[in-house]
Amino acid sequence: MPFASDTRRQLALFGMALLALCFPSAPAAGEDSAQGVTEQFHKVLLQAAGLEMIGEREALLGPAIADAFNVERIASVSLGRTWKGLSEAERTEFTELLAALIVATYADRFDQYTGQRFVTDRVEAVRTGFVVYTTLERPGNSSVSLNYFLRDGGIFNVVADGVSDLSLRRADYNSIVKREGYPSLLAHLRNKIKQARDRQ
Amino acid sequence: MSLLKGLPRGCLLLGLVCCTGCASLKGGSFKEGDRHEEFNRASFRLSEAVDERVMAPAARGYDRIVPGPVKRGVLNAFRNLRGLDSALNGLLQGKIDSAATDLARFGVNSSLGLLGWFDVAGWWKLEDQQEDLGQTLAVWGVTGSSYLYVPLLGPTTWRDLPSMLVSNVMPRLVLGPNYHWSLSGLDVLGTRADFLTATQLRDSSALDPYAFTRDAYLQRRKFLIFDGNPPLEDFFNDFDD
Repeated sequence: MPFASDTRRQLALFGMALLALCFPSAPAAGEDSAQGVTEQFHKVLLQAAGLEMIGEREALLGPAIADAFNVERIASVSLGRTWKGLSEAERTEFTELLAALIVATYADRFDQYTGQRFVTDRVEAVRTGFVVYTTLERPGNSSVSLNYFLRDGGIFNVVADGVSDLSLRRADYNSIVKREGYPSLLAHLRNKIKQARDRQ
Repeated sequence: MSLLKGLPRGCLLLGLVCCTGCASLKGGSFKEGDRHEEFNRASFRLSEAVDERVMAPAARGYDRIVPGPVKRGVLNAFRNLRGLDSALNGLLQGKIDSAATDLARFGVNSSLGLLGWFDVAGWWKLEDQQEDLGQTLAVWGVTGSSYLYVPLLGPTTWRDLPSMLVSNVMPRLVLGPNYHWSLSGLDVLGTRADFLTATQLRDSSALDPYAFTRDAYLQRRKFLIFDGNPPLEDFFNDFDD
């Protein structure tokens, strides 16, 4: 019996050693993947900036944002406690509305290509995800530091010069829900999407 | 002990302060609530109304008429006058390198930069360290402070309020009798014009501009307090389900 126990322990140790041998490659693969997600998104963003019509830019950005961003996570964090009280259909409706707003906002902001360039500075693995540090270089303007936070393979937060997009969203949306109610938040979001499209 | 006795009291205080400044900050200790929300919202509405009718149109006119290099020069000159404030606060936080950089910037830009009009030091990679009294107080342990929206002056916290006031009077303190009231107008106009794009972006994104401004201000302050490197984990932990 002791022999069997030792054997099991040795097998377990052997198994752990094998796992340990495999493990070092995992974070590196994750870092490469995180960098790949943001660089692919930047590539599409610059392509979209060269298009004249907002509809064309949205058509190009829509699938890219769906691939790169974890919109459901952004939706759940933005709404906080309100999210927990929503039905599945309401969650889907809010997530789709938020995705449309993100696409419309990027299409509105990146409306012309003026030689902007994204540079990936480094990637850092943290306990619960990855951070991709990048810089947006704009000829004739100061550069902007853009840090992408990824979890489960998707971007859930973009921090520009120290200001988190997700934190702003959460403060903004919760304030509207608290003061005017959830239906009013949906109306505000629809209005913002329309405004972004009308600015074309 | 006798050596310590021989030192002026000011030096001892400064030394003590510098040591305190070395204490490490914890991101999680930042609790900046909005206890005066009702007053703040009223103050925000008033300030926005004045801005919409007076300041923003004036800033847009200034932005259209004044050539880019002149606008840049005005901003540079006032930033240079506030450089001494940054240097002093760098010292109070125990950041000798930062204080030395700000002092070098002030010296170079005041002389070679023609009274700060040109940011010659910036071309030499001597960056503005952007320290202030509010950051010093945070480094000394005043991490929790309630948000405040001062009518016509803008967002701050109780901790940052003295810093806001010092920053406003700094050009007057540095220039002394050479200061003319019209410079205050130019300072305010130039700064407002510099924020035109930022306020346009806010208005195009925010559903509740008050809440948006408050969160952006508090985040930006935390970013500056941590010298551009706030704890990474905060960006994950703060958003856990």
